[in-house]
Amino acid sequence: MTKRSVAHATFTIERHYDATPARVFAAFATREAKARWFSGPPEWGPAEGGMDFRVGGRETSRGGPKGGTVHAFDAIYQDIVPNERIVFSYDMHLDETRISVSLTTIEFKPEAGGTRLVFTEQGAFLDGYDDAGGREHGWGEALKQLGCALQQAA
Amino acid sequence: MTDRSVVHATITVERTYRASPKRVFAAWSSKEALLSWGLPGEGWISGYERFDFRVGGNDRSHFGPAGGETYVNDTTYLDIVPDARIVSAGSMTSAGTRLSAGLMTVEFQAAGNGGCHLVMTEQGAFLDGHDLPENHEAGWNEMLDKLGDHLARDQAAA
Repeated sequence: MTKRSVAHATFTIERHYDATPARVFAAFATREAKARWFSGPPEWGPAEGGMDFRVGGRETSRGGPKGGTVHAFDAIYQDIVPNERIVFSYDMHLDETRISVSLTTIEFKPEAGGTRLVFTEQGAFLDGYDDAGGREHGWGEALKQLGCALQQAA
Repeated sequence: MTDRSVVHATITVERTYRASPKRVFAAWSSKEALLSWGLPGEGWISGYERFDFRVGGNDRSHFGPAGGETYVNDTTYLDIVPDARIVSAGSMTSAGTRLSAGLMTVEFQAAGNGGCHLVMTEQGAFLDGHDLPENHEAGWNEMLDKLGDHLARDQAAA
């Protein structure tokens, strides 16, 4: 039997984007827009999944190296305030193993020249498979990609 | 327009019970048991519209002081390790207004003399000033004391 453990941690990432809150919010609100920045390394190819962007709706995304470990993201939207806030819970699996469960809050605040995005993750990292540091790095990279996607679309 | 705000907080409440992890877990996984201890105040009432204790299943329950405000809790179970752990996520609303969203971890650890040490962690996002971490912490303290009474009654009946 696996030794069970839970490590709880909270981290916050803030970013400025030269785009209106409506445009930054839109990058989270459809599968097409989100796929432009929320994805694995290019060699993984496109992820499989779907998005039902409404409170109580679910989002799934599955991908990974060809023939390797499947990384699965399964989310449930808990709160949506158009152009202002998204709260979702999600769990991550590596193949069949659940490695974490988290609550994520994304706030979109207007500021001079664009938007301040405040990303807060409250995570429960299970049985030692992952930790807050690794997750913070991963989301930091994704939010950098989001900046690139917004610039390209401008 | 409402002024939007989010307060993030982590609440941890612990108890040691004179009951096995299996029995304490059972009190979190049956609707009847939850209804007998899961109320934060005297004179409060509650009920379930839906109860589905399995990974991916969801519960909808309502609770509140008799004749007063009714709170609706929507919860989805995300991780269940029998007799050891339950993780769920959900939100609370009242009259259509969302008050909070949260992630709940309940750990059931073997303690001395066949007892159980319970560690409950709520990682909450409290929305727009409608609710406060202190309210949840007080509610959980009340409920976990009631859980102790429930386990003692359950033991006496066995």
